[in-house]
Amino acid sequence: MTFMPERAAFSVQPAARGALLRELALLAAGLLLLALVIRVHWMADFAVFFILVLSFDLLYGYMGHLSFGHMLYFGAGAYGAALWLVYGNASAWAALAVGLAAAAGMAALLGGVVLRTRGASFALINMAFNEIGHFLVQSPLAAYTLGEDGLSCTADPLFGAISLYEDRWAFAFCGAVLLAVYALLRLLTRSPFGLLVRSIRENESRVRFLGYDTFRFKWIAFVIASTIAALAGGLFTLVQGFVSPRVISPFGNVDVIFAVLIGGAGSLAGALIGAAAFLAIKNFLPVIIPELSRLLDVKLPQWELWLGVVLLLIVFSLRGGIVGTVQARLRNRKPAGEAQ
Amino acid sequence: MAELLATAALTKRFNGLTAVNEVDFRVSEGETAGVIGPNGSGKTTLFNLLSGFFPPSSGEIRFDAASITRLPPHRRVALGIARTFQLVSVFSTLSVWENAVLAVLRFQPGGIRPGPFFFRSARRAPVLERCAEALARVGLTGKAALPVAGLSYGDKRMLEIGITLALRPRLLLLDEPLAGLSDHEIARVVELIRSLRGQFTVVIIEHKISKILELVERLSVMNEGRLICEGAPGEVLADPRVRACYWGKEAPAC
Ligand SMILES: Nc1ncnc2c1ncn2[C@@H]1O[C@H](COP(=O)(O)OP(=O)(O)O)[C@@H](O)[C@H]1O
Ligand SMILES: [Mg+2]
Repeated sequence: MTFMPERAAFSVQPAARGALLRELALLAAGLLLLALVIRVHWMADFAVFFILVLSFDLLYGYMGHLSFGHMLYFGAGAYGAALWLVYGNASAWAALAVGLAAAAGMAALLGGVVLRTRGASFALINMAFNEIGHFLVQSPLAAYTLGEDGLSCTADPLFGAISLYEDRWAFAFCGAVLLAVYALLRLLTRSPFGLLVRSIRENESRVRFLGYDTFRFKWIAFVIASTIAALAGGLFTLVQGFVSPRVISPFGNVDVIFAVLIGGAGSLAGALIGAAAFLAIKNFLPVIIPELSRLLDVKLPQWELWLGVVLLLIVFSLRGGIVGTVQARLRNRKPAGEAQ
Repeated sequence: MAELLATAALTKRFNGLTAVNEVDFRVSEGETAGVIGPNGSGKTTLFNLLSGFFPPSSGEIRFDAASITRLPPHRRVALGIARTFQLVSVFSTLSVWENAVLAVLRFQPGGIRPGPFFFRSARRAPVLERCAEALARVGLTGKAALPVAGLSYGDKRMLEIGITLALRPRLLLLDEPLAGLSDHEIARVVELIRSLRGQFTVVIIEHKISKILELVERLSVMNEGRLICEGAPGEVLADPRVRACYWGKEAPAC
């Protein structure tokens, strides 16, 4: 047999060079638009949440590893930065670096343990480590963290001029980091590494029979996801100037899981759209519902109930979240009614 | 011919059941060998032991004269042992060429380079030519861009063999490559396996003897975990022990 590999017959569309830039422009435009609609004051927080949700999507959406302990790394980034600002110096960059290094080191160590499990065990063992971190911050380390009272901290302006305590600058800085994180994850998830991570989600054992030491690559993905979560945590500290054990509580993980499920796991756009939808539900329903109640003169239930309704809808009718459902609709437009 | 693989008293017990029992199995470099036996006789378990799916209860496996008994699967693949699965196993959430990229990339000359591996689009992977080659070999060039989930079972089988060949194995283990295929698909796979003869060392498990009779140079028969007979296909089929276990149990498969 002879082979004539023809590019035309081997019909793989090469990636368009400008696609990433276009997506970044779209994301930036979306953020600016959002900043016009809602108060800029909230935008830095939102950008932090977007980054956290993106990091979780790498671990859960792409690699199929659902963790209930992702906030450990968010919290490590947040506390690492805060402790540096209080006991080190007031450099925002150094604080971020300390938070990232602390979380990356923890993920590197703990990853060696948690990644030996999968499924429910993986989710729960992560939560156990998260609980330990939460506890450590609350009491044994209270001499440094001040326990439940929390830790106030101040960072010098970036480049001597940009104060992160001004809403616009905080938004600009966190937004820029969000764009950078998106670009990084976009490259990672479309690369051969991204294929490998997705193949691990589908059938890890099979990947080993292609010659890959899957543990190593799972570990790399885990450390990357955890470090990006820590970046979100560090930003949180910088713009808030205050951390309390709440930032490292495993409860925060629930919001992140909801956001990824609403938008569609395993897609960066899905993670972002889900995060935005979740924030809308969480921040605007509590305002709108009392108003509506008054207008309609009936007592409407609290917003948590509506979040529950949205999730039920997604679980039962929007499998794959918003993005997954739209994609499936587009794909199935020609042949009608083909079951998924 | 040089010996490529040899097992010594290889045994696998699953609480109480001895699925593979003191098996001494040999493969010579360059040959095409067949393993037959009734359902549940331990053929797949033997492949699982050879490929590192699980460790043996006792016994030894030597590949190229070095012990590989306790090596994990990926290390055995690196040494050159590649396998397919009785139930086709490819990545159905990826496209056809993405499956090929994963396989080709692992053993590209120079190894995995971090820059392109982590950051370059898989669509620009420096291995696309070799993926095209791997897919052309199994007749899937035209389906490269399709999601695997939509392929027929036969195409999935061809893809599985294609990506396994892309690992450049020194020993290729095919577990019932013809099972579940239509006659037309069987002809395609048989043709493919025939084209491998001389280029690869191949061991084929098959349940129905007739299908592989003209493909293999040597036949081993398993029954109830034991290797009961080995030799040229003609001799083996004439052996009374084989006739007793095989034909005694079920309708003639020839
Ligand atoms: N992972 C396992 N756990 C328990 N029993 C197994 C396992 N794998 C195979 N067996 C048993 O071992 C015996 C041999 O199975 P197998 O090797 O699959 O046979 P074959 O491939 O020849 O049909 C069967 O009785 C099967 O039920
Ligand atoms: Mg079998």
